[in-house]
Amino acid sequence: MAAKPEAPLSIIGRRQPRLDGFEKVSGRSEFTDDIRLPGMLHGKVLRSTQAHARILRIDTSRAEALPGVKAVVTNRDAPTLMFSEHQPVLAADRVRYIGEEIAAVAAIDLLTAEEALDLIEVEYESLPAVTTIRQALKSGSAPMHERAPDNIGPTMEKDWGDPDQGFAESDLVIEDEFRTPMQHNTLAELHVALADFSNPAKLHMYTPTQGAPLYQMELAKAFCLAESQVRIVYRNIGGAFTGRGRPKPHHFIAALLSRKAGKPVKIKATADEEFIMFRASGETFYKFRTGVTRDGVIKALEADITFDAGGHDEWAMILWLPSVYLNWLYKPVGVRYRGRFVFTNTVPKGSHHGGIMGRMSAGWQQHINHVAEAIGMDPAELQLKNAVDPGYASPDGSVFASCGLQDCIRTVVERSDWKNKYGKLPKYRGIGIGIGAQASGSKGADNDTSAAMVKVADDGIVTLYTGIPDMGQGSHTVMCMIAAEVLGTQPEDIRVVQGDSDITPFDWGAFSQRGTFTTGNAVKAACEDARDQLAAIAAAELDTPAGELVFRDGRVFAAASPEQSLSFGEVAAKTLHSAEGRFVMGRGFFNSPKPFGALAFSFGAQVAEVEVDPVTGAVALLKVWAAHDIGRVINQLAVEGQIDGQVFSGMSQVLYEECRVEDGLILNPSRLEYKLPRAYELPDVDYTLIETIDPYGPFGAKEVGEGPIVVSMSAVAAAVQNAVGAMVPEIPMTPWRVLRMLRGTADGSTSVDKHWSEGLEAPLSDTKS
Amino acid sequence: MNTVAKRQVMSLTVNGDTYEVLVSPRQTLLDVIRGPIGLRGTKEGCATGTCGVCTINNEQGEALLSCLTPALEWDGKSVTTVEGLEADGELAPIQQAFVEFGAVQCGFCTPGVIMSAQGLLNSFHKPSEDDINDGMAGVLCRCTGHIKVKDAIRDVVKKRA
Ligand code: FES
Ligand code: FES
Repeated sequence: MAAKPEAPLSIIGRRQPRLDGFEKVSGRSEFTDDIRLPGMLHGKVLRSTQAHARILRIDTSRAEALPGVKAVVTNRDAPTLMFSEHQPVLAADRVRYIGEEIAAVAAIDLLTAEEALDLIEVEYESLPAVTTIRQALKSGSAPMHERAPDNIGPTMEKDWGDPDQGFAESDLVIEDEFRTPMQHNTLAELHVALADFSNPAKLHMYTPTQGAPLYQMELAKAFCLAESQVRIVYRNIGGAFTGRGRPKPHHFIAALLSRKAGKPVKIKATADEEFIMFRASGETFYKFRTGVTRDGVIKALEADITFDAGGHDEWAMILWLPSVYLNWLYKPVGVRYRGRFVFTNTVPKGSHHGGIMGRMSAGWQQHINHVAEAIGMDPAELQLKNAVDPGYASPDGSVFASCGLQDCIRTVVERSDWKNKYGKLPKYRGIGIGIGAQASGSKGADNDTSAAMVKVADDGIVTLYTGIPDMGQGSHTVMCMIAAEVLGTQPEDIRVVQGDSDITPFDWGAFSQRGTFTTGNAVKAACEDARDQLAAIAAAELDTPAGELVFRDGRVFAAASPEQSLSFGEVAAKTLHSAEGRFVMGRGFFNSPKPFGALAFSFGAQVAEVEVDPVTGAVALLKVWAAHDIGRVINQLAVEGQIDGQVFSGMSQVLYEECRVEDGLILNPSRLEYKLPRAYELPDVDYTLIETIDPYGPFGAKEVGEGPIVVSMSAVAAAVQNAVGAMVPEIPMTPWRVLRMLRGTADGSTSVDKHWSEGLEAPLSDTKS
Repeated sequence: MNTVAKRQVMSLTVNGDTYEVLVSPRQTLLDVIRGPIGLRGTKEGCATGTCGVCTINNEQGEALLSCLTPALEWDGKSVTTVEGLEADGELAPIQQAFVEFGAVQCGFCTPGVIMSAQGLLNSFHKPSEDDINDGMAGVLCRCTGHIKVKDAIRDVVKKRA
């Protein structure tokens, strides 16, 4: 075994500019839409114009007759092609939301394809539609699915620890309700799929993705192929933010068109179609309940959440995600969670950036502040007092081997001058603290693993084969830094081969904040394997036991005599050209020994300061102080970028983003009317990184890809709550909502509907007490 | 198909090179630059003028949304795209600053964000903070929140004599 490089580390921790930066700033980066395959056709999808209807007749004959049209498909072409258990890829005899896929066309150019769509005739018989949770739960509402007569889809109920005992031990039980609207993710690169299924024995799918395996599995299953017959190819990816986790209907439709036309077919979203193709977060109602003692010990937590699933329950994980989150912040005696999907005649839902927990925490944090107020305690103090710490085992069985949450809270309290501001700011100013936790690589399936390979050329250049996609988060640069640290070379000397499931080793992908942690461990192991192979030859050359060799800064030497060294390239050349002709090929693999859940967790706290305009109701976010425990920092520059992006996205969801939906139709499917902050609205961010060294992470690293957004959303919401003097019961906190709050708090009433469950004939649920 | 009849030949100079292309009245500058001319450094985002991803520079060096500009109106004119910023094999200062300051993440918006920033730098020698905010208000970067984008622009401004 070669000796591990001794601290201090030489590469890890630096501010490393992205290794693909040159390509990206110079216009050399290729994205899926830049790929032109020979003979490529353009596909368009015909979508339902009705929220709920029976399809009586589809006539495609005029479209088929249009010159330039090469294929038209409807459910008749693939009646058994399913997108999910109960949902065909193309609607058969019924549509359940505006935008549902009915037919599709492939033509020689986009204009012809668009013209052909207009020539398809669909005759509908309208059915009564329910387009909100409230309508869907009214008794007597028409059921959308025979299997769900009351329009309630999958549900989940679970207790961890003993919540009844926790509530019994509490002096006070505080309840709040909260609502989040439909929100959409606005990816920079719209959805696109380029399928080549001209040879029915092999489907080539070019598309941006968070990970090839799920795409491979689902497409293979739907088309009755072996997984090896599906090849997923991706180049650069224009963001994902939970939106590219699994294939969507357009992937299946592009494949279907390609098989029928015998040519590659590309389907690309238009700006408004994107709001349907994305499967964003739906309207959600929350009931929160917390039991606390008078001296501020949090004893029991409960959340009861009702999700608008849309027309189909496509992504059941949404139900489960927020439940575990409640276990990770404080130390209650017990946690109770209830979640349910409600079917409505709206587009099926997925997840937004922040993975459900972000949206929930904008209300949850305000609820905890309400608890603090009820017992007369500073919310920062309440949270510090109850915050989890290293070694804590939460009710759901998570163990925090490393945990810097308390330090994060102390840091932002100090840096923001919290004690001199909280409760002491002028009118219309507010300050709020948010905290959060996130799993690094939470394991949800047995094959949630990562593998990596490296080969070394005789000039010392290393090629890394990885299946982790880089959607912008900077994973490839991080992997090159890990590789360079182990091999004692420079990140610039590592080449990444990625983006082709026929070539790269298995990697579940960039989900659940697993890139740095899981793939990072695999890459580290692969490089250690390669280093051991090189060390065997270097040991003989340097007349030193292999175990005493150090690989560092491009040199290989014995720890005891660094003056006598070989360059990394020399060692590589000697190995490859040795008498045995040794080929250097390192392989590594990481599969968490924990069968379910995560080994490592990152933590964070942020303080936000806001000012509300009493005339317009507009909220200005003045400053954010962020402190995050993400384990060992691998790339300082990328970490800051991740925090920036999440502050942006967090403030965006809390203050701006909302799909206005009427009768199942999204009224603002455009980046002009679906608001996001512009450059001038972003605050200054003050960053502190609390480096706990995690025993399981590569070099002690944990995630930073999604932890901060939950914290940002909490902090911004809490700051507005502080400025207006009451819990704001829904996001986004737009000017008119803030004005209504200001008026309500001024005259002692509340002019905002706080009780979402009121008036529903089918109660959201009983709360046990 | 029915649009073929209406196609016309136009000439467009991109990054100093002149191209003759056959263009339909429905095509935008973006369609022509990415399509027949084949310079795909400029990306298509929303194609409806709302995201700024397609930003290029006009003859005066000002930012221009290529997805909103009917191509035929630009007959005989010249534009600069992200591929045209390099000189003598060197990246332009704004491109270098984007790499150094971490103003690039996914990179999809980057060509448009850089051409907006370049448009700003062409119009102002020493743009103020307000000028920077105004100049960058038309582009949307989902990944960086524009924080490091502004750092990169400020650095270029600072280094100007
Ligand atoms: S692509 Fe032109 S503004 Fe979005
Ligand atoms: S870098 Fe991804 S949108 Fe700007």
